[in-house]
Amino acid sequence: MIRRISILVVLMCYALPLSAAELNVSITIFDPGVPADPSSHRELLVFPKIRRIEALFLPFVLRKTMVAAGEWGAVRVVPEPDVAAELLVTGEIVGSDGEKLELQVQAVDASGRVWLNKAYTGEWAGAGPASGRSGYQKLYDAIAQDLGTSRDALDEKALRDIVEISRLRYAIQLAPSAFGDFLTTTPDGQFELNRLPAENDPMLERIERIRGVEYVITDTVDEKYQALYAEVVTTYEVWRKYRRKFSRYQIEEAERQTYEKSDAPRGSYESLRAMYDNYRWDRMAAQEQEHWARGFDNEVGPFVARMETRIAELEGWVDDQYSEWQRLLGEIFELETGLSD
Amino acid sequence: MPRNANSMSRSGLTAALLLLLAGCAQQPTIDSETLSYEGAMPANFDGSWERDYSRGSDVQYELRRLYNQMYRAAQQRAATGGYPGNVDVGISAKDASSIQALAQLADEITRPDVLTISQNEYEITVERKDDFAMLCEFFGGVSKGTESVYGSEVCGWDGDQLVSYLTLPDGLTVIHRFTISDDRNYLRVVTTVASTAYRLPFTLSRFYSKFEPASSDFNCVETLSMKRVCSTGEINP
Repeated sequence: MIRRISILVVLMCYALPLSAAELNVSITIFDPGVPADPSSHRELLVFPKIRRIEALFLPFVLRKTMVAAGEWGAVRVVPEPDVAAELLVTGEIVGSDGEKLELQVQAVDASGRVWLNKAYTGEWAGAGPASGRSGYQKLYDAIAQDLGTSRDALDEKALRDIVEISRLRYAIQLAPSAFGDFLTTTPDGQFELNRLPAENDPMLERIERIRGVEYVITDTVDEKYQALYAEVVTTYEVWRKYRRKFSRYQIEEAERQTYEKSDAPRGSYESLRAMYDNYRWDRMAAQEQEHWARGFDNEVGPFVARMETRIAELEGWVDDQYSEWQRLLGEIFELETGLSD
Repeated sequence: MPRNANSMSRSGLTAALLLLLAGCAQQPTIDSETLSYEGAMPANFDGSWERDYSRGSDVQYELRRLYNQMYRAAQQRAATGGYPGNVDVGISAKDASSIQALAQLADEITRPDVLTISQNEYEITVERKDDFAMLCEFFGGVSKGTESVYGSEVCGWDGDQLVSYLTLPDGLTVIHRFTISDDRNYLRVVTTVASTAYRLPFTLSRFYSKFEPASSDFNCVETLSMKRVCSTGEINP
């Protein structure tokens, strides 16, 4: 009973500001891009646990870049795709080896319009966390710039429609009977406005208050990703430094092999030893890298586990509230219209 | 005494036969049927192993044995070939140098006195001091090798023996054959080094006993930025 009252109080007290010019952006944590076949991981130098951590905090670097641009509304990192987001950005880590970062990034607005679906590759540029900028800052700048260009290509009405469609898609999730006929889905999966609800539609106001509550939770989750970034960024830079060192070692070794052939007679001890040692050093370098990967995971793994537990708790709370909100809104709709939801 | 004085001598005989066959073929070959297995791994080598210097091959003895074998073979060839008069049936300096080179490499490769073997359902890692860790990966019971421009490494099972094949450029191969006693207290590793530059391989046996590494009052964990972190309590880097 107390819980229901508190929810109603929240529904009545929270209001959401609206702005068409500055769209709110939800960046989903990235797909780690770990190949499904575990037997290929060593060969491809993919360390699944580290990829999973990268997938959690690389979106935060994009978020920082977009916030710094000052051209967007709230930019949040979210654990799951928010289908009603005004602009939803998703990404997959295609490659990350310390020297080079490769991301596949997609951005779709609430109307289903694809803003971009593009591969971005960034070379390490030498800056580190001490400078406050990522070593791959150019890559993030390029993504932010492309998003800005896509937005600038839309006129004021299109941007306002995106905001309205986002509100209505969210409303339909909670009260489908009340808002289902405000939108049409086109054959290619896009959403179009049929009509707009009244400016003072009480049901929509309630839903916006609910969305406000959800945003509070989302912001708390976003803070967790921010804390993760602050926690792991230094260790991650050490990891990247080691990986760059390994990549350079491999290149130098390959060059040495090309230019410094052993002139020991075939079958001699020196010749056999040289061949064994070449393999030995190559394997030891690769195994050293695996050792670093374990060290990285030992260092940041416990923090990530604690953070994920907390996020799961918050997400679970939101899921529970959703059912409650849907039921309450159904009851209110029935009281106000005599129709059942 | 481990189980298997008998079983080991049987497998030793098999190994010797295989090596003999391999020797005839110039190079030990990988039997593709050994590269997969069904069910659980046929043997468990997990643990810390220290060299038992009272057992195993002596390099000088093995060299002498090989020289004698080559000498007898040369004599036999001379006798059956019907060479007239005084034919030199000794071993050429090149042959002697080649076999010496294989022996020296085999000796150095098998020098580590401690092996730390970690085994789980799909992977066996044999860590050796000052050398790379041998890696045997099996996904769905099928061996997955490691390959680079410097060579390739793959493992297989011959019954309950784990066999690691390392193939290096210019026809150099290193094969390790691991056998564990029934009571899991002893390990035998037979290492064969062969090169296409020479017709006979060189083989050494090493024996190891299981031991429990000394326990510590500290809990330690390797980290990336702080290196090794130890504590008497629970570690939370």
